[in-house]
Amino acid sequence: MRSFVVGLVVAPLLTVSVSAQDMPLSQVLIDGEQWQQVGQGYKFTEGPAVDQHGNVFFTDVPDSKIYRIDAKTGKVTVFVSDSARTNGLMFGPDGRLYGCLMGDRQIVAYKPDGSHDVIATDVSSNDIVVDSRGHVWFTDPANQQVWHVNPNGKKRVVAKGWRPNGVILSTHEGTLIVTDSNAPHLWALRVEQDGGLKFKSPSYQPLVLPPNQDRPGSDGMTVDKDGRLYVATHAGIQMFDTQMRPSGVILKPQNRFLSNVCFGGTNFDHLYATCSDKVYRLKVKVKGAPYFTRAKRGE
Amino acid sequence: MRPPSSIRPAVLLAASVLMFVPFAHAADDYKLGPDSLEQKGVPKGKVIQGKFDRSKVYPGTVRDYWVYIPKQYDGKSPAAVMVFQDGKWYVSPTGHSRVPTVFDNLIHKGEMPVTIGVFLNPGVVPPARQGAKPRRNRSFEYDTLSDQYARFLIDEILPYISKKYDVKLTDNPDGRAIGGISSGGICAWTVAWERPDQFRKVISYVGSFTNIRGGHVYPALIRKTQRKPIRVFLQEGENDLENLHGSWPLANRQMAAALKFAGYDYKFVMGDGGHNGKHGGAILPDMLRWLWRDYPGVKQP
Repeated sequence: MRSFVVGLVVAPLLTVSVSAQDMPLSQVLIDGEQWQQVGQGYKFTEGPAVDQHGNVFFTDVPDSKIYRIDAKTGKVTVFVSDSARTNGLMFGPDGRLYGCLMGDRQIVAYKPDGSHDVIATDVSSNDIVVDSRGHVWFTDPANQQVWHVNPNGKKRVVAKGWRPNGVILSTHEGTLIVTDSNAPHLWALRVEQDGGLKFKSPSYQPLVLPPNQDRPGSDGMTVDKDGRLYVATHAGIQMFDTQMRPSGVILKPQNRFLSNVCFGGTNFDHLYATCSDKVYRLKVKVKGAPYFTRAKRGE
Repeated sequence: MRPPSSIRPAVLLAASVLMFVPFAHAADDYKLGPDSLEQKGVPKGKVIQGKFDRSKVYPGTVRDYWVYIPKQYDGKSPAAVMVFQDGKWYVSPTGHSRVPTVFDNLIHKGEMPVTIGVFLNPGVVPPARQGAKPRRNRSFEYDTLSDQYARFLIDEILPYISKKYDVKLTDNPDGRAIGGISSGGICAWTVAWERPDQFRKVISYVGSFTNIRGGHVYPALIRKTQRKPIRVFLQEGENDLENLHGSWPLANRQMAAALKFAGYDYKFVMGDGGHNGKHGGAILPDMLRWLWRDYPGVKQP
């Protein structure tokens, strides 16, 4: 990332390189590009997740369906027709699609044929993230905690004490970021070697609150290749730079509940948003960085 | 299009005059004066470097720090204390401010009290996993509008420094000063704003009173809050930043206007520099003389 390198070079010269690392919206948004509707007629959309080809999968939670958006044609097809109210989704390095089955109180991993393996049982869950090594974290808002499942399938609670919802890893997987439904900040926690979490800090703040609202409505998140973080909120998609500074709000595609975002498309250069009854995408200047592609990228 | 040949010589002449006439003052060409350079016969304090990694306010952070102890510190009477954010830039003997040398000179002349300097770098949370990047905490520590950084100093850093180096630091808030550049500047203001019972003297170089994390609201708060006992020196430059967070020259003008409106003991200097410490460093001795002008034991100007 060139701007970061500039900062490192300048710092020893004892000048301050605030501007060198600024990440304004103009680096992300393309003038004239608008949200395009990808699909409509759903009850409540959630869980957008991208596979290695850029196809995006999402859920219609109350209707217990998982859909697939083809990266090349944009065609939407049903992937799983009885998903037990699956909510959050994410692809793992093994090519399976991990999901939070709220109805069955399970975490499962769907195989390409739509059948699934069980990852964890007897848990309530909402959103999920899978790292490049197969570690899984998922949120449990009902019990105000965050779970970890290691690659051997052992599960344990690794953080608790606030009402989490969305969960994501930083681009290089060193920090787990978790939303707080009741506060205008996101929690950052250091990821330990064993998947444990340490050093909780409300570093991503302040979130923008719409007028007359005291909760941000922060929900699903994604990160891009340069390290920006994007979080779906009532006010829109709020973006943070690599120093965890608020750096702009991308307007919602429609004035309804925005649940989640992810990068998809053949070049990972479209932002997909699940917004109540519809799913949208927006072409942007930046690219997503799914964790399962890290090995391929030589990181 | 080529200009007609008849006027070409005139254009060339004008251009060459512009090129070769020396300007009386180019933008941002501030230079350090004698008070910022080592002077013969002036006792030199010592500078000790350390690492602080036990913060509870900022869990998991690691940071370098430096402590300056003046030669005149006698170990008996409590010393004044001055904290600097981005400590490595302020403590460096080749940096924009060279604080230890400035302190040596001003303390020697009796123009500021015997003062312990504390130079703190921002914290970093090192990664636990291979290939991960550290969490850089600077903006969270400096730009956040809360008492967290004040608590970090008051509850953690000052007691730690005092004990570790066996130095007595004054409890008198008028003997506690804090300074910084950019986000470190707004941080200095935030510490005094939140805890004027502990810190009452502030220096800001090109302070980020902009919307990095909401700091642009200070002028409004200052105007509508009962005046706090804070003395503040703001340095700013016409060519400072303009970006997504705001306009630094406008933000500092707003601060100065609000401080004036609310009747603060403040000084505002607008230069022609950019987002760096050149101007601030050049006038640091004057800032310190102004800041400490009526402190017990300090020579009246």
